[in-house]
Amino acid sequence: MWSGIRERELGAPPWRYAASVRRMRSRALELCKTKDVISSGRGAVNSLQIDPVEARYMLAGNGNGSISVYDISQPTTVEPYSQKHEALFSIDKAHRYSVSSVRWYPVDTGIFISGSFDKHINVWDANTLEVLMQFKMPGKVFGVSMSPVSTTHMLIATGTEDYRIRLCDISSGAFTHTLSAHRDAVWAVKWSASSEWILISGGCDGAIRLWDIRRAGCFYVLDQHRSSASQEGNSFPLVLFCFVYFFEATEISRAAKTSKDATPGRVHPGLTSALDRSTAHYGTVTSLQTSRDGHYLLSAGSDSRVKLWDIERGCNTLVNYEATNINGNLTCELEVSGDKPLVFVPCLTSIQVYDMLSGRLLSTLKGHYELVNCCAYHSQSQELYSGSNDRRILVWSPKQSVSEDEALGTIAAQVQADEDNWSD
Amino acid sequence: MVAIQLMLAQFPKLEQWNLRPFVLRTQLYSSVKDRTTVDKELEALKQQQVVRMFKLNSGRDDFAVMLLEDYVSQIDAAKQRMESKHSSDTTIVFDWFQNYVLGSSPDLSISNSHLVSLLSRGGKTTDKQISVLINAGFLVRQMSDSEDYWFSIPGIGWAMKNLTQGRKEVTQLLRKRQSKEALLSVLEKRKLRSSSLGMRFHLRDLLGSSVLVSVETTSGALIRLAKR
Repeated sequence: MWSGIRERELGAPPWRYAASVRRMRSRALELCKTKDVISSGRGAVNSLQIDPVEARYMLAGNGNGSISVYDISQPTTVEPYSQKHEALFSIDKAHRYSVSSVRWYPVDTGIFISGSFDKHINVWDANTLEVLMQFKMPGKVFGVSMSPVSTTHMLIATGTEDYRIRLCDISSGAFTHTLSAHRDAVWAVKWSASSEWILISGGCDGAIRLWDIRRAGCFYVLDQHRSSASQEGNSFPLVLFCFVYFFEATEISRAAKTSKDATPGRVHPGLTSALDRSTAHYGTVTSLQTSRDGHYLLSAGSDSRVKLWDIERGCNTLVNYEATNINGNLTCELEVSGDKPLVFVPCLTSIQVYDMLSGRLLSTLKGHYELVNCCAYHSQSQELYSGSNDRRILVWSPKQSVSEDEALGTIAAQVQADEDNWSD
Repeated sequence: MVAIQLMLAQFPKLEQWNLRPFVLRTQLYSSVKDRTTVDKELEALKQQQVVRMFKLNSGRDDFAVMLLEDYVSQIDAAKQRMESKHSSDTTIVFDWFQNYVLGSSPDLSISNSHLVSLLSRGGKTTDKQISVLINAGFLVRQMSDSEDYWFSIPGIGWAMKNLTQGRKEVTQLLRKRQSKEALLSVLEKRKLRSSSLGMRFHLRDLLGSSVLVSVETTSGALIRLAKR
């Protein structure tokens, strides 16, 4: 710590010192002794999200169909050595069945959306707690996502039991797109962190597909056997928007070529990728997460593997995260931004912390009694919140030094002393 | 690379099944510390055509690594076996397989159309020739409804049976004990009843797939069953 300050004195830029402090803190997480989130406690916590705008409110979707919001910076009661955060409000009968995922509206915390197993997606107003809009889906909703960088559209991407991905528009209340190419239910959908038009989806068939919603069909399927060392001549060029028209021309010519070999008649250029059966995981893809800069994609599968993909080149980076035991149900993983990002992966009853780029296991956070379902990382205070089937939300924070504990104790003691010896 | 050579040398010699030595990917994980470098180096070696990887169908995702020269010698041996049964224009497909297919596709699987196009560089390919390749054990149809094939090693059935039974036996051995652990020296002395691949083979494989954990003690290494 002191060497960092010395460097700062000698002229190192402030962001470097801040980044190194954050990095050190995020690597020393343990159960927080002072902060406590009192969950409403009536259903398993299925999904957690901290709002992307001010990182102050945390949204939790529970297994009994209720949704709660917690304020994680202002405690509701303060006692010596502990701050308790209770739910600001809790909507009890938000859905008939379990709520599978909840998301804040990326622009402000006035709206949030929730998807549940009762086949509905509700758009709620956070101030009046009423349903603004409801979308009925053909199957159980497993995941919802809104683009964090979008400026022109307000589309909700939904992954359901049905093989198709639907995009719902909040501004008009209608379904705008139906994306079909998956062969089985879609469990995870995520918008890209760098482009507002790119959607990434992972399904039970083990495939991860990248879609550009302005064009028909998915433009890429991630293949776990293709890594940067083996770029074949006929692989897809990726992402760069100025090459979109060039790309469409090559796709049409490729469609014509394959149609000569396989079936007579033309195949629609949007459907050529439906014939591509490459899989990203050997089992189902249980969750997706993009890195903050949009370069990398993390995917967790029920084959107990977590894979890191380089989105720009469309290949597997072959980083091996040591043995993970991922539940075959839905999980949620998160990672840290900064120089050396971390990946938090819920594994059965504990959370394993890996260094994202090298794959080394840094630590295992044990504290829950049952399956951990989800976790949310608060990047400003380097805290991790995790929710599990045992209906509790645990807070993990960097190890606090002894002097901080003592300071809290002495303040409390002074407060008590004053109370006893008051006199006019 | 050195690790691969070491392990291949320790593979038991069994001439009756005519199987060449191979290494499981999990065994490489147990001997090299950093798993990402193992993966990346394997990928590089695959591209350089020094080794070939095969996906084994044991339920979990196991991969076998074999030196290319060993694989080629197996192809020749299979060709000689088939010469007696089929005419020479069907057995010529083994040469085509070796020359064209192995060279241009270092992947684990290949689609039917790609296979046909590669084999056609040698001459006209018929379905009969492809079935000869499948019978010899070099190609295996994939379980999905597409027409893809996995590359495979002939005679792998014996190895798979021994592998799964040996794994079960070793884990049972440790599970039965009260403390779920045993010293490495004690384990190595025991002979396995169900598998002839050797105790060391299975121990390395299970250590690499994190079913077992190795702990250093003052009396040597201790092997413990990982807690679930």
